[in-house]
Amino acid sequence: MADEKEVKVPDIGGTSGVDVIEILVKVGDEITKESPLVTLESDKASMEIPSPVAGIVRSIRLNIGDKVSEGDVILTVAASQDEPQEEKVATETTSAKDENTKSGVQEKESLVQVAKNTPVSDTPAAKSEPDADSNAVVYAGPAVRRLSREFGVSLEQVQGTGRKSRITKEDIQQFVKAKLQEKSNAAGFSLPSAPQVDFSKFGQVDTKSLNKIKRLTGANLHRAWVTIPHVTQFDEADITELEAFRKSEAGKSKDSDFKLTMLAFVCKVVSKALAVYPQFNTSLDASGENLIYKQYCNIGVAVETPNGLVVPVIKHVDSLSVNEIAKEMTRLSTKAREKGLMPPDMSGGCFTISSLGGIGGTAFTPIVNSPEVAILGLSRAIIKPVYIDGEFKPRLMLPLSLSYDHRVIDGAEAARFTRFISESLSDIRRILL
Amino acid sequence: MTKQMKTEVVVIGSGPGGYTAAFRAADLGKKVVLIERFKSLGGVCLNVGCIPSKALLHIAKVVDETHEMANLGVEFAKPKLDNKKLVTWKNSVVGKLTGGLNALAKQRKVEVVTGCAKFSGSHQVVVDTKDGEISIDFEHAIIAVGSESVNLPFIPEDKRIFSSTGALELADIKGNMLVLGGGIIGLEMATVYSALGVDVTVVEFMDQLIPGADADLVNVLKKRMSKKGVQFLLKTKVTEVEAKKDGIYVSMEGEHATDKPACFKQVLVAVGRKPNGGSIAAEKAGVEVDQRGFIQVNNQMRTNVSHIFAIGDVVGQPMLAHKAIPEGKVAAEVICGMKHYFDPKCIASVAYTDPEIAWAGLTEKEAKASNIAYEKASFPWAASGRALSMGREEGITKLLFCPESKRILGAGIVGINAGDLISETALAIEMGCDVEDLALTIHPHPTLSETIAQAAEIFEGTITDLYIPKKKK
Repeated sequence: MADEKEVKVPDIGGTSGVDVIEILVKVGDEITKESPLVTLESDKASMEIPSPVAGIVRSIRLNIGDKVSEGDVILTVAASQDEPQEEKVATETTSAKDENTKSGVQEKESLVQVAKNTPVSDTPAAKSEPDADSNAVVYAGPAVRRLSREFGVSLEQVQGTGRKSRITKEDIQQFVKAKLQEKSNAAGFSLPSAPQVDFSKFGQVDTKSLNKIKRLTGANLHRAWVTIPHVTQFDEADITELEAFRKSEAGKSKDSDFKLTMLAFVCKVVSKALAVYPQFNTSLDASGENLIYKQYCNIGVAVETPNGLVVPVIKHVDSLSVNEIAKEMTRLSTKAREKGLMPPDMSGGCFTISSLGGIGGTAFTPIVNSPEVAILGLSRAIIKPVYIDGEFKPRLMLPLSLSYDHRVIDGAEAARFTRFISESLSDIRRILL
Repeated sequence: MTKQMKTEVVVIGSGPGGYTAAFRAADLGKKVVLIERFKSLGGVCLNVGCIPSKALLHIAKVVDETHEMANLGVEFAKPKLDNKKLVTWKNSVVGKLTGGLNALAKQRKVEVVTGCAKFSGSHQVVVDTKDGEISIDFEHAIIAVGSESVNLPFIPEDKRIFSSTGALELADIKGNMLVLGGGIIGLEMATVYSALGVDVTVVEFMDQLIPGADADLVNVLKKRMSKKGVQFLLKTKVTEVEAKKDGIYVSMEGEHATDKPACFKQVLVAVGRKPNGGSIAAEKAGVEVDQRGFIQVNNQMRTNVSHIFAIGDVVGQPMLAHKAIPEGKVAAEVICGMKHYFDPKCIASVAYTDPEIAWAGLTEKEAKASNIAYEKASFPWAASGRALSMGREEGITKLLFCPESKRILGAGIVGINAGDLISETALAIEMGCDVEDLALTIHPHPTLSETIAQAAEIFEGTITDLYIPKKKK
């Protein structure tokens, strides 16, 4: 009993309300340090939470579908006997403290529940109107609550502007106005909705729900596609020499735990290009009238995982060597495939590279990863006859597809930017200049 | 031959909820028929409940105060009580109010039909009047048939044994009396009879009087009533009541078990109220009534039959006129097409005893039972100049707050005029006030209402009328 320890959700990048989608252990399981306990899925990725201790699982405090935040108790573990004595004492005191905080949380929850139940007098289980009863815990007086009912507005969605964020009648009017506006705006863009097709008429079908990552990336992609005027610039880079150099370098360090890839070189070149053409390292502000120039250079690399597309971000690429970039890429993509990416691993990007080179294809039109303003797509490099100095020579050509936000970047700028990348890849020494 | 009538809205029952619903519907342009089984409008509240009991409580209070004046230096002769005259006066108060209701109905062209109503179909009620049956076709109906006193099966029929209705007649104000039930109604009548000189004993099955209220408030009342000579037998159950010529003999079990039956001149049975949902043949209209007689409604007061509504005591606890009245308005407004809902955050309860007890929102009892986190601050009226100057320093004003948001969750007050004081806290709960809002609202001095601000100041640590050592952290 004395060495039973609570395991809590660690820092998950300040994100709160993350879904528990999988519980990987059960009561009685013997776990070791670092063995995965639960899988959490945030807006951006799913992650496995490793155990910080070894021992036997005594109780599990979460259920699938719970929303958790940093500090919530996942489970309790009876720590293994071989743990140092001192640590046990410390554990005891903290676990007593945790009990307190936990019961605090419970109390808060029950308060919410009870408050929701109280208003409907003592009536034996009154059946409520459908839009009705979510108003019990919001901060609004009776007249405002009545007005919200008349409009069918759930007060939980209304931002109060009164003193201490109290919801006023005007807030409801504004909310309704905004909603109407939204509708009419949407009407301007409105597309005929896709007709419902009964596919089962044509053969057997299975319906599976999209996973959370797909649903969320889907929404983001759709928004980017609709709101950003996209143009894609195509180009090619002659990487014959660079590929030879990469191979010779990669061969030298066989024992190393990373792969020196072409992508790492492209990443380095892009960081240089962003420094030369800073308008590619910007974002439009919310008003759409100002451009925010970033004085840092983080580059996202799209990674395919069994759960969907994720974009881990390599930080401060401009200060990393190509080897360091390659190392970081290896680390992040391993983490991504093992569901270990944390939200901080995926935020703060300035520019994204999406490589389909491993699969094939000649070119494609990537969608800008909003709020970034450009994205570089790489397809498979192939040997092509290139006319040089009066004759065709076999050269290894890497296809480049740069999509950009035309509100921010002009076509000529995009052509120059792509050229810079192409020329730098053809002769890597250029980035030293 | 059955007389035929047709109307848009029929309201069954003319208590505070019923007449409010009828008048509101009429004001919104509906043709309304109001059915009442008794001769005068107003239901239990006006005729045999809130109003007449308050008239008698007023008399009790004045009589009590004349006794207390002696300590202050004003001595009155022993009051001469004429119970017939008292009852006449009480009835005249009731008469004024019910007469007023008739006038209000007339002005609105609400037709009043006197008789017992029963549904005969989904859109028809039949009223049994003294001039024969009247069948009334309606578009919408509002059931407001209220509740009645619960009678215990082992209690014999005898005119010395009565419910609160009988108690209001003051048939006998000498000798002793047993009040069966230590709830609000029992204690109010105990207050009246005790002040008029009756030797009152209250027997209660639970371990606390007014079991819904917090013990700290009730104890203040119990202490004062005990001092006035009222006896309390808690955790005691009446098992047998026998009416003999020389008195009513009552046997009891529990903490104050009787060896042999105790003799009382009269017995008031005040053990609760039951809904009258079973009395109107609701099933003929398809309206569901549960076993206890309650009718379920949604938060627009609609029953399972969409054009039939129900309000007041018959839809559930708390059985209070001030709950029925707004429910009646909501029902009438919904019938008239308004998108209104009944969604109060609190409904105050008041015991009009002396001192009064009132509470609104969360009680400590509920908080503990449902494991709701709260913090409280109690202001003792011994530090209130106004309470002292009235010679009534026994009161307490208690506020409960949410530990996180510091918003007020509930309030409980014991003391004179607690029933009037509680409304400020009810408004505060509805408006989501926090402790600062209450503490910073300037309350006139010297008043009892100040105690609410002062309780808030205790919570904030800004009180200067008391000295409270700082909590060690």
